[in-house]
Amino acid sequence: MKFYVCIKQVPDVNAPLQIKDGQLIQDSDRNILNAYDASAVEEALVLQETHGGEVNVVLIGPEKAKETLRKALAMGADTGTHILTGGNEEYDSYSYAKILAAFFKDKEVDYILCGKQSQDTDAGLTGSMLAELLGLPYTTNAVGLSKEEEQLLVKRQGDAGQEMILLPSPGLVTCSNDMNDPRIPSLKGIMQSKRKPVESIPITDLDADVSPGSSKTKVTGYEEKPKREPGKKYEGEPEEIAKQVAQLLDTAENVI
Amino acid sequence: MSTILTYISITDGKIKRSSLEVLSRCKELADQHGMESAALIISDNVSGAIDQLKKYGPSVLYTIEDPIFKNHLNTPLLRALSVAMEKISPKVLAFASTESSKDILGALAANQNAASLADVSEFELTDSGVKAKRPMMASKIISSVEATGSPVILTVRSGSYDLVEKTADTKVEDIPFSFSDNDLKMTLKEIVSATGDKVDLSEADTVVAAGRGVKDEVGRKLIDELASVLNAGIGASRALTEAGDYDPSLQIGQTGKVVSPQLYIAVGISGAIQHVAGITNSKIIVAINKDPDAPIFEIADYGLVGDLYKVLPPFIEELKKIKG
Ligand SMILES: Cc1cc2nc3c(=O)[nH]c(=O)nc-3n(C[C@H](O)[C@H](O)[C@H](O)COP(=O)(O)OP(=O)(O)OC[C@H]3O[C@@H](n4cnc5c(N)ncnc54)[C@H](O)[C@@H]3O)c2cc1C
Ligand SMILES: Nc1ncnc2c1ncn2[C@@H]1O[C@H](COP(=O)(O)O)[C@@H](O)[C@H]1O
Repeated sequence: MKFYVCIKQVPDVNAPLQIKDGQLIQDSDRNILNAYDASAVEEALVLQETHGGEVNVVLIGPEKAKETLRKALAMGADTGTHILTGGNEEYDSYSYAKILAAFFKDKEVDYILCGKQSQDTDAGLTGSMLAELLGLPYTTNAVGLSKEEEQLLVKRQGDAGQEMILLPSPGLVTCSNDMNDPRIPSLKGIMQSKRKPVESIPITDLDADVSPGSSKTKVTGYEEKPKREPGKKYEGEPEEIAKQVAQLLDTAENVI
Repeated sequence: MSTILTYISITDGKIKRSSLEVLSRCKELADQHGMESAALIISDNVSGAIDQLKKYGPSVLYTIEDPIFKNHLNTPLLRALSVAMEKISPKVLAFASTESSKDILGALAANQNAASLADVSEFELTDSGVKAKRPMMASKIISSVEATGSPVILTVRSGSYDLVEKTADTKVEDIPFSFSDNDLKMTLKEIVSATGDKVDLSEADTVVAAGRGVKDEVGRKLIDELASVLNAGIGASRALTEAGDYDPSLQIGQTGKVVSPQLYIAVGISGAIQHVAGITNSKIIVAINKDPDAPIFEIADYGLVGDLYKVLPPFIEELKKIKG
């Protein structure tokens, strides 16, 4: 099977952040491979190990994001495509989906894998937008993938349970990080990644309208979520503190 | 008159409370702006839901009924939604945020060439569309966002709005729809570990959540007992859903579900930011953890420092007394 995994470089939610002049400021050296995309790469590699095929990764981002493409190659992906942006554009999910759609338009693919959401914005839109733009069948929030009768059997975490869906090729799947534990690149993997082919495509070479006026959503500001005040800590004899807190939940809080 | 349309999601024959929260909000907005609030049910059996929905004051209740909607499948749902959009041409289409609505939001927006906003915690109408707030950075940050054009399609986090009943003369209108299995494009082979009649976590008033500190059968029994005394939904951290100790649908947090109960009890959970992202809308948070420096204590209203195996039995005993 020929896989393309769409991967994104995102800020680490654990890194310190500041809001300044209406912008979110974070150290870009703490940027990482989106955790959901790491799981998508891992799953494609596992399928490749058992069934053969190809794993290609594609990333849209500025020059700096190349390190994330390298990381996926170091995990074991065969080739990388870097769709190069200037870095200051304010793209929303639809913009990314349009760029990816233009990239995939004349590609031969069995399955496109995306993350189920970006770890920083939690939007969760790009994957199904891309599927719609390409006219592909898709499933989201996959927690497991296997091959069955030349198709992908997707285990999807839905509202009513886990749906087992047989998805024909070409198709698109968005992946949860509940799927697997992505491998940490080995030293050998890192060395090999340096020799792997990476194609750079300037975004202007693609036929996608992502001009500043084109996007229908925009972020107008950020604020820190008000922190919850820590309450009281109860230390001491388990019997006593347990009793005390249970009673307070009843009498002081009226929540039981 | 222009319309604000609320999609009503039904699982196992029951209307999701979060859909009614969204319908309540849309009715309020419609009244403020001189617009019409309408609701849309797409289901294999719509009749059971109609009376309950009327209480929330929609002017029109659109229904699309077909056996294909017994289980969630995105192809027919998208088809039905675009038929409905064509007929109703709403300015806004709002969903409760569920796995099913998240599954189709992007595709529907692309299909309608519409702006979409996922998982908002507040929304308002503006002259040009919708403005909203949405949590990001694992809920550390709230972003203000604007979506322009018509329609704007959005999903709303559960617990964001209260239920408000309003009377209205509701007209029920069926939208004709047909779907051939040949157009499915994929095959749903089976649904495993259906959550059935268990408490829906995103709607539960009390949630007991287990983390890695709950390491064996004895611990899980204590969790069950605590939940049963409090009539609570059981949730878990990723550590335990990943280990297979709890069903993946019970995960609470950034990857899992967002909960907004009156009482949330975290047992043996460290309080990683991705877990906390799902629980900060709880009214009261109680944490039981043996590490006095565990980050969960920074957000807990009541922090019990101790071994859960020693704290839970007397805690459960006392709760039983209070309840009995
Ligand atoms: C993109 C992404 C998304 C994620 N999404 C989620 C999500 O949705 N939900 C989620 O939960 N996690 C999520 N995670 C994982 C998260 O970062 C943590 O790894 C996870 O929440 C840890 O679970 P835990 O608190 O149970 O385990 P640990 O962090 O190992 O904590 C166990 C705690 O139990 C305490 N303990 C141990 N023994 C006892 C005892 N006998 N009595 C009392 N206390 C005891 C310890 O002191 C410790 O604090 C996500 C991670 C990423 C990267
Ligand atoms: N800049 C990008 N480059 C490559 N893939 C992307 C990019 N942005 C989004 N994606 C894909 O879309 C998913 C996230 O979608 P969203 O949550 O809408 O941002 C990611 O997990 C990727 O698979």
